Amino acid sequence: MSSLRLPIGTDNLVLRPFKRCDLDAVRRYHILPSVQRYVERPTRYEEDVAAAIAIMCSQVDLHRPGETLTLAMVRKDDAVLVGHVSLKWSDATAGQGELRFAIDPAHSGKGYLTQALTAMIDLAFDHFRIHRLMVRCDGRSHHSIKLMQKLGMRLEAHYREHALFQGEWDEELHFAVLDREWRPNAKVQELHARARVA
Amino acid sequence: MALYPDFPLSTERLRLRPFTRGDVDGVFAYRGRDDVARYLFDPPLSREECALAIQQRTNQTGFLEEGDRIVLAVETAEDGNLVGEVSLIWRSVEARQGELGWIFHPDHHGRGYATEATNALLELGFGAADMHRIYARCDARNEPSWRLMERLGMRREAHFREHGLFKGLWDEEFYYAILRDEWLSLRHA
Repeated sequence: MSSLRLPIGTDNLVLRPFKRCDLDAVRRYHILPSVQRYVERPTRYEEDVAAAIAIMCSQVDLHRPGETLTLAMVRKDDAVLVGHVSLKWSDATAGQGELRFAIDPAHSGKGYLTQALTAMIDLAFDHFRIHRLMVRCDGRSHHSIKLMQKLGMRLEAHYREHALFQGEWDEELHFAVLDREWRPNAKVQELHARARVA
Repeated sequence: MALYPDFPLSTERLRLRPFTRGDVDGVFAYRGRDDVARYLFDPPLSREECALAIQQRTNQTGFLEEGDRIVLAVETAEDGNLVGEVSLIWRSVEARQGELGWIFHPDHHGRGYATEATNALLELGFGAADMHRIYARCDARNEPSWRLMERLGMRREAHFREHGLFKGLWDEEFYYAILRDEWLSLRHA
């Protein structure tokens, strides 16, 4: 796989690897229950967040299945860290990947996640040659559901009471998109741009 | 909770009982077939592989811990013909989840045997095994299988597309599920 070029820029954000000094910004959202649902290990206290950041700092590329790439979403204007996005390469043979994300509620609703996830989906399909990307979310998380629909992901699964989460019956949705479903017109646009340059 | 049900489980026309060593030919008659294996994880089994599978199954008759399975031979009450098999797996102890499965000999399809036998297993799962949710999966192309799940009152919860490879091709899979409350209200309807 060709070398990954970081950081990645979007309209308002820079997606870059984590640094240890990101602790204060990450703590603001990482300990929230809604974020806890999908993190690999619980982060209830500051020490836990520091340990989580140490792991995130090391997740800077994908070399083999099972690995995760995690990038901080940093606002271009003022360098404020607003959240993070990650891509897990879950299966090599079948080209499967999973996206996760979290945003500081103080900065939600401004389209940052749409920008960051669009960039990550591009990266997964174009650079890492993933075949199918999936996202899991809580059935009650209306913001996430809207976001997935906006990105054009299909609802593939709606599990009801299939597990317990923090003592309550859980409801989980899976959204997915295949490489050929993502921007089927992308090639046409590319040609158009090149023609204009010539 | 340990559960060792009393066998056989009887339905109107069928008996569900543990496998015995005498079932090898009966099992080979359907597990050896290409059409039966098409949507199963295993390829068609040889007679020896059937004998091995049956040896395992003679012990799969109760629930002691998570992951345990009850696998039962299904025979007609009238003449004791082996027509297929049904299974219930204890997938989660904490969340009381179970997975239902079945395989029937094509010669006996279309008589409602699978519906009758799987219904008996839902009864066991929601009854004695005190499960909260029971699910089942099938290949999206296996229409008789998902039709059966719809007859049982199960809801389609998932439709996965190309989420993995199955026998060398992209897989497309359905998940169906039924909650205890849904099953109870269907039964009383």
